[in-house]
Amino acid sequence: MIELKGVRAVYGKTIALDKVNLSITPGIVGLYGPNGSGKSTLLRVVAGLHRPVLGQIVFDGAQPRPNDENLRRRMSYAGHDAGLYGRLSVEENLRLFATLWGAPTERVQPLLEQIGLQDRARSRVDELSAGLKRRASVARALVVEPEILLLDEPFASLDDAAADLVTASIKAWHAPGRTAIIATHGAKRLKSFATTAIVLRRGSVASDRDRQVTEVIA
Amino acid sequence: MSVAAVRTGNEAGFVSKTLLLARKDLVVEARGRETLPAMLAFSFAVTLLLAFTLPPESSMRSDVPFVVGTVPVAQVLAGYLWVTILFAGLIGFARAFEVERADGAIDPLVMAPLDRSGLFAAKALSNLVTLLLVQVFLVPTFGLLFGVNLGGRWFVLIVVIALVDVGFVMVGTLFSALAAQTRSRELMLPILALPILVPIFIAATELTADLFAGGGMGEVAARGWFGILIASDVIFSVVGALAFEFVVER
Repeated sequence: MIELKGVRAVYGKTIALDKVNLSITPGIVGLYGPNGSGKSTLLRVVAGLHRPVLGQIVFDGAQPRPNDENLRRRMSYAGHDAGLYGRLSVEENLRLFATLWGAPTERVQPLLEQIGLQDRARSRVDELSAGLKRRASVARALVVEPEILLLDEPFASLDDAAADLVTASIKAWHAPGRTAIIATHGAKRLKSFATTAIVLRRGSVASDRDRQVTEVIA
Repeated sequence: MSVAAVRTGNEAGFVSKTLLLARKDLVVEARGRETLPAMLAFSFAVTLLLAFTLPPESSMRSDVPFVVGTVPVAQVLAGYLWVTILFAGLIGFARAFEVERADGAIDPLVMAPLDRSGLFAAKALSNLVTLLLVQVFLVPTFGLLFGVNLGGRWFVLIVVIALVDVGFVMVGTLFSALAAQTRSRELMLPILALPILVPIFIAATELTADLFAGGGMGEVAARGWFGILIASDVIFSVVGALAFEFVVER
């Protein structure tokens, strides 16, 4: 379980998250909200990429040590940027990150096929279109076989067929005990397979509803 | 048993991951050819320009030691060599984290289950290889243009270069990571790094001047500058590895 307790995150003088209290249980969590609502910041805070000025993030009942390698091994994140080396091929990138995470590199080829990039495996990332980069980025996050998967707008720039492939890949990765937090402002696709929903709107937790909908309002 | 616990048994170790990341940087540079050519072009242009700043009789080929004002030419040439290496190195280090910044690859890199000192060591290693490649080109060119003939004492210069490079790369890598997080990153690196690098390059210049003036290993070592370099290497390696964690923290 991931718990956020009174989290406040800022960028300079702008408050991106304020008094956020959440308990996130394993499953596929849809993180919804309009632009600027704090979705990306929440993912970055959970990923340890942005340190909150107030509050705690607790994993399985324990607050992680700073730069806890074991926690980082359990987690992977794909943000707005591809997070891939442009001068390396898609396959080289995936092998690199799989090795860094200690995940089996044999997983690379099946994953590329699953996400529809088998023909682009040897293409350099800087030669790919935005949609192909997005798919490669999701593949990079999945290849390390994380227990906690954090995806920021994974369907952006994708056509319907590509979005279906990404959805299928996320579903194939998901297993009991695993948690995905997926941020999107276009909720329709994600709602079809998310088990939990969190709605952010410039602020703090407002309510819980059916299907564990937690609304966060300024 | 958790996934993490299962993985630890087969996972690549610290050294393997560090070497993997350093190799990645070198492959990216070999394919992009953005940093090394710039460093080489700068080194060649500056060396060529400096070759025209001294009168022909100041060449080290002359049997009579030449004096520029009150300074022996050996001292001037040692300064020329190390100023060229200093700024060529800074050009390279300024781009050290550009490859991560360009595609947002710094995020997954920082999240990787590898001690931050491994990230630092990998980047320092790739910077060191790049700097050595520049020196392999620069030092013989410099020797030819200025008539430097060290005979059998080349190995002393190689020892000096090796000792300077370690400290230089450690400082350069640490501050390039810090500068990479600022808007004016290429301006910030020299501002941050130069004050720290001054002792290293004074020692380098003094040692090289002694060498150019005809000193052997014994004479060169006698003045204690090697101690400054060795101490700098140790201090900056330890400080760099420890401080890198705080530099990449956001």
